[in-house]
Parts: sequence; C-alpha cells; structure tokens
Amino acid sequence: MTAFGDSFRVAWIDMCFVRHNILSILVTCLVSPLLYLVAFGYGLGQGMTVEGFDYISFMIPGVIALSTLTSCFSTVSTKVMTQRVYYQSFDELFLCSMSPVSIVLGKSYAGVVRGLISAFILYALGLCVSADMNLTASAIVMIVISCLVFSMLGVACGMLANSHLTQTLITSLIIMPMTFLCGTLFSLDALPGFAQAIIGVLPLTHTTGCIRASILGTAFPWTSLLIILVFGFVFAAVSVYVVRKGRS
Amino acid sequence: MEPQTASSSAPPMDDIVTVRDLTVRFGDFTAVDGISFQVRRGEIFGFLGPNGAGKTTTIRTITTIQRPTSGSVVIDGHDIRNDYLEARKRIGIAQQHISLDKDLTVRQNLKQHALLHKIPKSELKEKVESTASILELGDYMERKVESLSGGWKRKTAIVASIIHDPTILFLDEPTAGLDTRSRHMLWDLVRMLNRKGTTIFLTTHYIEEAESLCDRVAIINHGSIVAIGTVDELREKIGKVAVESTDPDGKTVISYFPTREDAKGYTDTLGDDYFNVRRTTLEDVFLELTGESRGKLA
Repeated sequence: MTAFGDSFRVAWIDMCFVRHNILSILVTCLVSPLLYLVAFGYGLGQGMTVEGFDYISFMIPGVIALSTLTSCFSTVSTKVMTQRVYYQSFDELFLCSMSPVSIVLGKSYAGVVRGLISAFILYALGLCVSADMNLTASAIVMIVISCLVFSMLGVACGMLANSHLTQTLITSLIIMPMTFLCGTLFSLDALPGFAQAIIGVLPLTHTTGCIRASILGTAFPWTSLLIILVFGFVFAAVSVYVVRKGRS
Repeated sequence: MEPQTASSSAPPMDDIVTVRDLTVRFGDFTAVDGISFQVRRGEIFGFLGPNGAGKTTTIRTITTIQRPTSGSVVIDGHDIRNDYLEARKRIGIAQQHISLDKDLTVRQNLKQHALLHKIPKSELKEKVESTASILELGDYMERKVESLSGGWKRKTAIVASIIHDPTILFLDEPTAGLDTRSRHMLWDLVRMLNRKGTTIFLTTHYIEEAESLCDRVAIINHGSIVAIGTVDELREKIGKVAVESTDPDGKTVISYFPTREDAKGYTDTLGDDYFNVRRTTLEDVFLELTGESRGKLA
C-alpha cells in the first residue's frame, strides 16, 4: 500500500466527523464569505470598477481564495491540535505503522473537503450573479491546489500549537492579515511598492492571483503557481518533520 | 492464600524488547535515568513503581510515542531509532489516558484503529466485531465514547490496542479506575492473551496486580530500576520471611530474614512482645527497595 493509499485510512475518521456534521459545516463555511460578499460587494463596492471588472466580479474569486484559506486552515489546525493536546487521540498515529507522509496527507483531507464545499458554493453563486466569471478547469484545479496548500499549513500549525491560545495567536498574526491584505478584497495595484513586495511573500496573494485569473480569463500568473507549489512543499515538509519528530 | 501467578506459555527463548541505557530528559528534569532491561518473548513483564517514577515515560518511549534523549530500544529485532515503522507493527498499547476520539462511537474508533493498522478492508467488520466481543462491548458499539463511563472507555481502549493482534501489548495502568469485577475481567483477558502467545508489558502501582499477573517485575523509582526479577527472586533480595514487631515507642518494625529458622532466632529474643511472622510480600520488597519502608534489614 502506498503512502497515498494509506492516507485515506488516516483520513477516514475525520471524514466520519464531516459526514455526521455536514449541515453545521456548510453553515460555518459560508457565513464569513457571504458576509464579505454582501458587505463589501454590494455594500461598499456597488458601482466600482477594479482592474477592468465590476467589483463583485473582481471580489468573488478573491473570496473563493479566502475561503480556501480560512476553511482549510481552521478545520485542520483545530482538529489536529485538539486531537493532540486535548483528546490525545493523535497518539494513535504515532503508534501505527503509517508513514509520516500518509499521516500529513490524511490529516489534510478533511480541510480540503470543507474548503472545496465552501469554494464551490461561492463559485456557483458567483456564476449566477456575475457575467464576467467563467467556469474553467484551471480554476477548479487552482481551488483544489489552494485547499491542499492551506490544509498543509493547518497540519503544520496544528502540530506546533500546544493550546487554543497559541492557535489564536497564529490566526491573529498570520491568517487575519492575509485575509485582508493579499488582494482578496482590493487590488494590490493601489498599494505602494514596498507593501506589494511584503504581501508578495504571502501564499494567499498568489492563490488569489491564480484563481482570479482562471475565473476571469486574464493572463495566468505562472510564477505565482510555482510559488504556491513551493509553499505547499514547505508546509508539507514542516508537517512531515514535526510528525516524524513525534510528540516531543 | 498464595498469590495466583500467571500461567504463560513455554519458557521464552529470546528477548522481544531490549532496552539499553535509556534516558529521557525534559529540560533539567530526568524522567528516566539510564535504565536497561529485557522483556522475554511470551512473558508478562511488570513495571512497578509509585506515581512519578518514570513508568509512563518509559512505556511511551519504548512504543515510539516519545523520543529518547539517549539509549537504545529494540523491539523484536527492530531498533526504534532507525526502523520504528516495523517496530510499531508489532506493538499494541493501551495508554493511561484514553486516546480515543470522543466525538465518535466505539465502533468507529475500533474501525479507525483497524484501518490505521492496515487490516484489509474485507476483514474490517469481522475483526471489529470479534475483538469487541472479547470484552463484551457489544451493547456499547453505537455509543459515543464520551458518553461511556471511565471503565468502559478503558475497555474500549484495550480492545482497540489488540485489534491488529500485536506481538507485544503494552498496558499502562490498565486497571486504574476500574471496579473489582472489571479488574478481574481484565486480568483474565491479560492471561488469555498471554496464553495465545502475546507478550505483555504492563505498568502498575497496584502491587496485587503485579504479584498476580507478572512473570517478572521491575521496580522503578525516580527514573531508575532498583530491582528486577521474578516475585520470588525479589523477595529473596530482602529476605523471604518478614517479622513484624513493635519498638519501645509502639512503632511497627519489619525485619526480613532468608529463612524461617533465621526469623525464629530473632523472634526468640522478643520474649512476650508482640510479633507476627509472615511471608515477605512484593509490597515489602517495593517499600524496602524504594526507601519508603518503616522496617529495617536484619
């Protein structure tokens, strides 16, 4: 059995949880993105044009990228941290003969599922309200990649955080700034050069660029795709390292 | 009544666990201090010690949950530093804390354990049912783990630990929190598993449990092993016959002697003072060797 095949065995129990709680997951996945849509899209952005598109068409791909971050990261990091620190059921993964790669992949799948659910509901909504948005294979692939990358980040943080306080700190210092500053809700062209350079090192900037380009049919930023893949590899490597290192 | 000893299979021919100079430190605190011992294939091996002695840290290190600071552990020929995945295939462990997913049912937790230990999907259902029946979990299978009493949670954890038929089963304080009936049921389970060929490594601070179940016992205190051997060998270390008497202040004094004849020589000097001659127990050995006894060596 390969590491990939074994990862589904690791993921099974988290998928049970998703299946049993699908309604509450749907609600929690969608509340924030829909609020952004209403507040920023219709509230503030009515009549605005950004990068040649009306604001709603510009914003929805950004919110899709944002939902892949928030859904995937919070699902996985909370689950992993809780299982490690509070339930201590994560020990079972240290006791079985699953490879660290299988464990990291398997733990990321629940986040990927939640991310895909929220992203595709928003995508469907966007296709209904915006004539500029397109359903493309590249957009679907980019959404899947984005979910996987941020789920890996969730695994890494879940393995490193030892309490809800630490996790809240990570969310406040890393996730929240990314949420607002990475071109999800406004164009980065409006920012000064140094700010763009700083924001350019954050992964959400690049997933947003790739998803937006795929959905709106603009020039695809291949460099951003490469950067996202590097981030994904780094997050996965950190997660594998921490899992291999064990509980302490 | 003589304590019941475990009836294990034919004498083991090799060591299934070899621990050499194992040390585990957490910052400045040394939890396990350079211990060495072997567990023979097919035996029930006990780790007896008070709370904080290093039993759980030792078991977590041997089973690869915890990293050692130094030293080596070999499980059935596989060094846990280099070959931990192979070592893990041979291990089952029921930890002191219940490491089950409390949001899910007993059945789901058992199935998850079976999946993680790579039991083929075609055998999963039957394996879960048959293993669960060993500890009469049938009526509890669809209940969430969080709704179970402490005793049933522990039984579920033990069933989960044996679902993949491990070669060696580690039990960390397996009967802590259980009522008497459940405790004896668990002892019977341990003996049954051992008769089927599973080597058992258990930690306990219940002396009766160590005396009743274990072929050999290691006494651990402050991270170090103070003695290791069969119950009889450990009794011989301090003297197989104990004499309880009282000193002029009325305090109980326990003295130990190799034989009854030696003890009689001592009791003849006590005259009409109160004394009681009895067999040295593992509790006496434990208290004497860990320095917590009120008695004195003769």
